Amino acid sequence: MASTKETYRVELRAAARQLGERGLYSAAKWAAELLVGIDPDGTPAPSAPMDTPSSSGSAASGGRLLHLHRSGGSSFRRRLRPGGGASEAGTPLGGVSYVSTPIPDDDAFDVGADKYLLAKTYFDCREYRRAAHVLRGQAGRRAVFLRCYALYIAGEKRKEEETIEHEGSLGKSNAVNQELVALERELSTHRRTGAIDSFGLYLYGIVLRDKDCEGLARTVLVESVNSYPWNWSAWLELQSLCTSSDILNNLNLKNHWMKDFFLASAHLELKMHEEALKRYERLMRFFRCSDYIQAQIATVQYSMRDLDEADMIFEELLRTDPFRVDSMDVYSNLLYAKESSTALSFLAHRVFLTDKYRPESCCIIANYYSLKGQHEKSVLYFQRALKLNRKYLSAWTLMGHEFVELKNTPAAIDAYRRAVDINPRDYRAWYGLGQIYEMMGMPFYALYYFRKSSCLQPNDARLWNAMAQCYESDQLQMIEEAIKCYERSANSNDTEGIALHQLAKLHGMLGQSEEAAFYYKKDLERMEVEERQGQNFVEALLFLAKHCRNIGRFEEAELYCTKLLDYTGPEKETAKSILQGLKRAQSGYPSMDIDHFAM
Amino acid sequence: MAFEGVCHLLANLVEYCNSSETSYDFAEDEAFNSEIEMSNFMDANIHVRDAIFDKYSKGYAPESHMGEGSSSLVHASTSLHDFDEGIFKAEDNPDCLRSRWQLEAYLNQQADILEKDPSLVPLNSFNATMSQLQALAPELHRVQFLQYLNALTHDDYIAALDNLHRYFDYSAGMQGIFSRSSSSFQDIIVGKYESALLCLGNLHCYFGHPKKALEAFTEAVRVSQMNNDDSCLAYILGAISNLLSKIGMSSTIGTIGSPYSLGNNIGLGTPLSIQQQLLVLLKRSLKRADTLKLTSLVSFDHLSLAKFDLKHVQRPLVSFGPNAYTKLRTCPADVCKNLRLSSHVLTDFGVDGLSASSDNGSFSTSWLRNLSAASNSWCSSSTKSRKVLTNDFDNFHFHAQPSPIPAAVLQLAGSAYLLRATAWEHYGSAPMVRMNSLVYATCFADAASSSELSLAYVKLIQHLAAFKGYSAAFSALKLAEEKFPSTANSHIQLLKMQLLHERALHRGQLKIAQQICDEFGVLSSSVSGVDIELKTEASLRHARTLLAAKQFSQAANVANSLFSTCYKYNMQVENANVLLLLAEIHKNSDNAVLGLPYALASQSFCKSFNLDLLEASATLTLAELWLALGSTHAKRALSLACQSLPMILGHGGMELRARAHIVLAKCHLSDPKFKVTEDPCSVLDPLNQAVEDLQVLEYHEMAAEAYYLKALVYNNLGKLDEREEAAASFREHTIALENPYNEADSLSY
Repeated sequence: MASTKETYRVELRAAARQLGERGLYSAAKWAAELLVGIDPDGTPAPSAPMDTPSSSGSAASGGRLLHLHRSGGSSFRRRLRPGGGASEAGTPLGGVSYVSTPIPDDDAFDVGADKYLLAKTYFDCREYRRAAHVLRGQAGRRAVFLRCYALYIAGEKRKEEETIEHEGSLGKSNAVNQELVALERELSTHRRTGAIDSFGLYLYGIVLRDKDCEGLARTVLVESVNSYPWNWSAWLELQSLCTSSDILNNLNLKNHWMKDFFLASAHLELKMHEEALKRYERLMRFFRCSDYIQAQIATVQYSMRDLDEADMIFEELLRTDPFRVDSMDVYSNLLYAKESSTALSFLAHRVFLTDKYRPESCCIIANYYSLKGQHEKSVLYFQRALKLNRKYLSAWTLMGHEFVELKNTPAAIDAYRRAVDINPRDYRAWYGLGQIYEMMGMPFYALYYFRKSSCLQPNDARLWNAMAQCYESDQLQMIEEAIKCYERSANSNDTEGIALHQLAKLHGMLGQSEEAAFYYKKDLERMEVEERQGQNFVEALLFLAKHCRNIGRFEEAELYCTKLLDYTGPEKETAKSILQGLKRAQSGYPSMDIDHFAM
Repeated sequence: MAFEGVCHLLANLVEYCNSSETSYDFAEDEAFNSEIEMSNFMDANIHVRDAIFDKYSKGYAPESHMGEGSSSLVHASTSLHDFDEGIFKAEDNPDCLRSRWQLEAYLNQQADILEKDPSLVPLNSFNATMSQLQALAPELHRVQFLQYLNALTHDDYIAALDNLHRYFDYSAGMQGIFSRSSSSFQDIIVGKYESALLCLGNLHCYFGHPKKALEAFTEAVRVSQMNNDDSCLAYILGAISNLLSKIGMSSTIGTIGSPYSLGNNIGLGTPLSIQQQLLVLLKRSLKRADTLKLTSLVSFDHLSLAKFDLKHVQRPLVSFGPNAYTKLRTCPADVCKNLRLSSHVLTDFGVDGLSASSDNGSFSTSWLRNLSAASNSWCSSSTKSRKVLTNDFDNFHFHAQPSPIPAAVLQLAGSAYLLRATAWEHYGSAPMVRMNSLVYATCFADAASSSELSLAYVKLIQHLAAFKGYSAAFSALKLAEEKFPSTANSHIQLLKMQLLHERALHRGQLKIAQQICDEFGVLSSSVSGVDIELKTEASLRHARTLLAAKQFSQAANVANSLFSTCYKYNMQVENANVLLLLAEIHKNSDNAVLGLPYALASQSFCKSFNLDLLEASATLTLAELWLALGSTHAKRALSLACQSLPMILGHGGMELRARAHIVLAKCHLSDPKFKVTEDPCSVLDPLNQAVEDLQVLEYHEMAAEAYYLKALVYNNLGKLDEREEAAASFREHTIALENPYNEADSLSY
């Protein structure tokens, strides 16, 4: 075990250094963070504290894992210790052995080394063209990569400037990265001759993506991560190209441990929360202290509506790393959902001081203003976040919510629509669109959007409820369709408890009293379990009492009536009269029929 | 920047400045465009239905005209291709800027082409073009509308729905969010979502989902009432009336289910039949359009009213007591008045259209259309003039003179002519039908959509078939098929099948006739209430085929069920036809007594709908029925036949004329007081004429009958040679009828 960790350490150490040398800063940052996140070998015992329990065991212990971790690592370790004997290096989170990938040697420090050093300093000073110029004619792979990368960045920078310079009334101008063509030509030649390393392949992948050759870009990126798995940026690019689980499953990836990180993250992106959570919890065993995994797990928990759990993790995260901004926008969403304004205020003020011009910071601040009810300011900050990153999906959706608050429906629709166009799988934005149209009194039009969202998230009762409400709205009154939707909702664990009640009511309206009674009974059971009593409870009792009386099950009817007697209001009187009628009927008076009709 | 580029920039500076304001009316335009489109659909339908009644005389050869038309079409498509390339070269080349205005004009032009002839625009490559445009100008949302139109015309439901929603999500607020906040608060709240619903309704209507379409329209009515959008409301009413007239809905089917249904929505307490609702809606729409000065809609409504008057009796909404007098007749004067008014409004539009800036919807469209027309003519002439005028700038301005009449107006005016042709088809005047179709084909061919233009051609060819025989019709059809090459052009396809079926029936090739009938049945959609006209025609032809095969009881069954469907869907004009067919069936099954009431009913139907020619043919059938009852009724039969003669000889097709002649001869012959030897000409003349006509038509059965009668007459006269000749011809036709030759080529022509 220790040796496994040691291997990871060695690999990551080298990776962080190599990535840094090539100017791939965020990948280097990621590697270094992970390096520190590897569980320090507190107990230097030769027998590893952690090894390979069967995968089912690990999944089962997954839920507890987090609590244990936070309450103290040692108990957790003890618990898992009896799991098994020594394990080899490179075996298995999931029981499959990993392929060990050799760490590539850098080019020997040859004649070009000094020039490379110079170029790298230029690069660090953001003088990209100058850096590229210094490296012209150098044939070393590292030099070629840095030159090409510098050119690419220079081109990107120029593109951004041009976009702002040329912005016309129709939006974006046709600014393109002028270097792309030359870069593609050069890199494809290198790839053909085999004179390209994995970093070059990564760059080639990006270039191809920018040129809309997604298929080839995927292949090239897969090549890159297979030969050098520690470049997280390459994995992220690959992930952005995997828009469906089919594509993801068809990737031909070597089984390196970095693949687990990739798959977990991709699953999270594709809303396969269970799988993502399982993978992250397995990874946690090695990278106990990794903030990244913690944040990801918290994000998963948040997506699964497990707010308290996620809250705790984020809190812990912020305590250990107070100046963190990554993933803190998710935390702010969470705090918003929990309406804990003090915590959100604290977070907002902190990120404001840390770095106020990051999209995440803007988003957090916008959330803060929104919770305070200052929606104009909130919109302003969301717009700023979107200026910084046009493709910031959640900002578009959240801005849509703000516009709804401001009653600016066209703007809200526009914002939601942009979110949907960036990622058509964003069911929240679809749902938001549906809600707006419903609010505008266009339920028929809204149905299209609810249909879209429930198609993406078929097990979400809220979406089915929304759709059903459209169908049963005054304007449409398509009761049968509404019933079908509510049935779906009731089958997918409707926590709000709307579906059962509505089902009962609608069946009652259609005169199908058997079905209505069935659903009222179910609803009663649910409310009794949740110890909720209200108007719905009374309504259900009353209906059931009458129904049982009508079909001749007097004892049951009596039961319901006696329950009703606990409540005040007109229902109590009705119950009393039903009870009297029942008694008369049971004692055999013929007046029962009259009473029956009188009801 | 190149010199041309600078010129462009200077020339379009004003447009650049104005472009932000002018984008305001787009949503409105859409409604307008779709309206026009709708009118096309409508006309198309009514004409298909009427094609059945076409059997009138006199000849005409449209070949020369067709030749011209097709060549001009080819030009247009090649130049379109050029233009496509041009615009992309310009965009790929950063030196040459295109103004927003030019882009709009380009999009409008594309929309026109889509509307005129979708088959010219390939689905995928057009989508690629549009997505390229969108990548270049993401804030130009009209591109999405074009994608919607494209998907719609290529019958891609999902894509059409997605693009429709996307377009209105983006542009119902008219502009992007960032610039939006500066405008007034009231504006923000009031979107143009009612037009989204209008388009959604039209979409469902197009794909044949009447219920969904109606839900969308009702919602549109509600939203536009909420937003006080009167002009949109007027359009919606027009659209609903289109829907009601288009789909077959019997009043018993609960299509309008919700309590917020039309009946309540339009403020009528009592439940109404679909037809009455339609009439009310049309009148309201007309009134509203008139007060709002939506000239195009006014003319559209006039056209729809004319259509309504053509086929339906206007009953008063409420009649009190048994004494209330209702005149159960259609009124041709109303039809003519409406047709005249629709064109009249358009001439007004032509005269003061440019000054009527208050007319927001149609005016801005016409202006845009002018521009697109300008670029259109520019590109069509550019093939010729490119070498001479290399300067793009000059070229543009030279042709940019606004054309006096916008294409949309031309289209509506053209529709009026087509409708006139249909009306005359109903009333039974062949020359008027031909004249109006000719006017349409010659004067409005440029603005017309391919389906409407093909409809005019169909009418001309039908005319030809009825008056000149099949060979002439088929050679014309070949030319028409060349001109409208797409297999998807349903009018031409239908016409071909109609002609083939009729010819097969005449030649006695029953198997082929049955095969074509089956094909007819396949063409129509399986959803009930959709494609009603097509279904009616299919079963009508089926009954005729059975009749020709002498399977009388089956034919009667089919005709009876057809009658009940027609009755259910309130298609009275078709009923007249079906009743006549039933009379015919009973006559042929030697059951004249049973046939008489049907013939009489058909006659009275014809009277109340002013179907003069059909009435004449019903009278003729009546005469035949009387004749079949015995020689004592010969006198009455003769007088009936004579009654129908002027109409039939004046306007009837060859088949009808021949029938009338034969009936005339038969009446004389079966009259016991009539002596052939005294007046042989009064029998022989009509028979000779009938024989002439029937030989052109290759109608073996009736030709045999005519020759038989001739032989009889000659026999009586004692002219043996002539008798033998007639008998030989009789034999020939009987053999041809019994052994239908060369079946293989009878599906070709």
